[in-house]
Amino acid sequence: MGDIARLVGQRLGLGLIILLVISAIIFFMVEALPGDIAQAVLGQGATEDNLAALRKEMGLDKPAIVRYFAWLGDALRLDFGNSIVTKTPVTEVIGERFSHTLFLASYAAVIAVPISIMLGVLVALLRNSIFDRVANVVTLTFISSPEFFLGYILILYFAVKWGMFPAIASLSEGMTFLELLHRTFLPALTLVLVVMAHMMRMTRAAIINLLASPYIEMARLKGAPPWKVIVRHALPNAWAPIINVVALNLAYLITGVVLVEVVFVYPGIGQALVDAVSKRDFPVVQASCLIFAATYILLNLAADVGAILTNPRLRHPK
Amino acid sequence: MGFVVYYFAGLLGASCAAAYFNQRSAFLLLFSLTLVSFVLGIVGGAGALRFVAIAAGVLAAAGAMSYAFREFLIMLAGDETAKELRTAPLTAAFGMFVIFTVAVMGIFAPIIAPHGEAEVISSAFAPPDESMLLGADQLGRDIFSRIIYGARNTVALALVGTTLAFILGAMAGLLAATKGGIFDQVMGRVVDVIMSIPSLIFALLMLSIFGGSLAAPSTSFWLLFGFGSLVGLLFLASAAEGTMGLLIGIACVIGGALAFAFAGTTIFDASEVILVLVVGIIYSPRVFRLTRAVAGNVVVMDYIEAAKLRGEKNWYLIRREILPNSTAPLVAEYGLEFCFVFLLIAGLSFLGLGIQPPTADWGSMVRENATLISFGEITPLIPAAAIALLTVAVNFVVDWMLHRSSGLKE
Repeated sequence: MGDIARLVGQRLGLGLIILLVISAIIFFMVEALPGDIAQAVLGQGATEDNLAALRKEMGLDKPAIVRYFAWLGDALRLDFGNSIVTKTPVTEVIGERFSHTLFLASYAAVIAVPISIMLGVLVALLRNSIFDRVANVVTLTFISSPEFFLGYILILYFAVKWGMFPAIASLSEGMTFLELLHRTFLPALTLVLVVMAHMMRMTRAAIINLLASPYIEMARLKGAPPWKVIVRHALPNAWAPIINVVALNLAYLITGVVLVEVVFVYPGIGQALVDAVSKRDFPVVQASCLIFAATYILLNLAADVGAILTNPRLRHPK
Repeated sequence: MGFVVYYFAGLLGASCAAAYFNQRSAFLLLFSLTLVSFVLGIVGGAGALRFVAIAAGVLAAAGAMSYAFREFLIMLAGDETAKELRTAPLTAAFGMFVIFTVAVMGIFAPIIAPHGEAEVISSAFAPPDESMLLGADQLGRDIFSRIIYGARNTVALALVGTTLAFILGAMAGLLAATKGGIFDQVMGRVVDVIMSIPSLIFALLMLSIFGGSLAAPSTSFWLLFGFGSLVGLLFLASAAEGTMGLLIGIACVIGGALAFAFAGTTIFDASEVILVLVVGIIYSPRVFRLTRAVAGNVVVMDYIEAAKLRGEKNWYLIRREILPNSTAPLVAEYGLEFCFVFLLIAGLSFLGLGIQPPTADWGSMVRENATLISFGEITPLIPAAAIALLTVAVNFVVDWMLHRSSGLKE
């Protein structure tokens, strides 16, 4: 067991280092701004006095490296400074929104993961049949469609024409859980459609890869019934690729959510990020980018760790 | 009622015919459609069945069109190409047809479009009439003309972005594969870091700093210059020999980068330059990884060893030995990369952060006219559908090319 702990620890350390590098990129990129933040905030017409005052207020008179570590230290305590536009703490702006985004993403994941893995396995077993080919074309179409296309189609039919679900996923205080699920159904469905297509294709590829291995051939040749081949021989080895597929696609959800939130006017962190980018509200941009990147890395790490835990071969690297 | 009778009679007849002629897959498809139609007919009534019939008709028309287009291409092409084309599945032919159509639309946009790109010709959201096929947008511009101009703008920027990503990624990948050692290690780690930031988020971060509607021409000039010098230095690292060559090379790189930056800023406006650079930088790591993997397999071949023993330099190895032997996967990757870049640019434009108005563009058109959707209009979806269609088309063609080049078995 010590081996596993060491390997997992190594991965975690690597993830931390990457996160540190990314935080540096996020911070120093803003430093690369033509002029500086103060200039960007006040615009071209600002006087020297105003600029100097704002620089002092934002601590821009200190060297960048000092400010980076101060920023990083604050960020670890979930304090990202104040928004330039609203002057309120960034944590207040995005804290609650982040929980909304997590809710939407997990809503989509809960629907998408079981369905797409089952469908993926099914399609892999029926490979090269007409169903497989139809599924191939359909999933390719979903992958190739921009999220906003799917989202607006769903709005057009489910909200406008048939009036089954609201077109705008606004949240209000004191909603029951069922109401919440109903309100956020269309954005979740959009995400489900995109992610499901990815997951199905990846699961299919993983399973087909697996079914081509010699021990499956062996099991078949010795006369094991088909269900037993799947359950006893294929499935234990399929966990690693499937966990990988799930984690990678959850990571994909994190980006897909930005466009979907904008389409459905959902009060999540993605929309906050887009607003902040167009208003050049750098503290909010930095904070949300850091949160997105951290989640993304965390999920990729989970994929790695899951693969190590379920595949004994990876525990003994050559 | 008559429609429903004809519908089921047609389906049953077709499935019986398929079964009689031993077309197993066609029969399976037709008969399962019949069974699904029973349920659909009970739940959704004749309307749902009509929808299925129309969808099937559209699919059949697309199939017929792709078949005809493939035959057309086979007629036109020479013997060698014709043989290859015969192996193309219908989906690939369909993809080629769509790409061809979009290319014609983009190249001849000013001739095809009935109105100007930013010409206001009627009131906002005017319904379609005989001069406007699809009606007017939120400012009273002809939507149809803007879709045609959009083919030109969006696709051109995506092509430029892909090409930039490709030059940077492929050059670095080739160099990493031939040189190995420290350079390879460092590039590998840099790429790891870039790839661990989600692409859309990274794009938003960079655009918030350099770009959008506030982009300054000087910024974009210097960024282009930086990009040009980076690529130039990669070239230099593989081609230059001796101190003298290095000095001349550096002079050439600086001159070339300046010319490149100058040309870039005159052809595109500042925000477009930044958009293209941002997607180029974000997607180059993918190209790097693939090129390095493909070239890494070639580098260990005996003929490379022989060339090295002959005393050939890196540049010769890359140009004459490695590149010709890794063209097929690289071309396929170019197609895939184009899809990613295209979707990212469309997404950014949709968010209002990519291509800036009044330039017509498919992504931003969807956003601008989104209000029409709440009135049950389908027009705002057409540019979005165009994005999806072109991406699917490219994917189909790439699928076929990958299949052909690698003999990919499943």
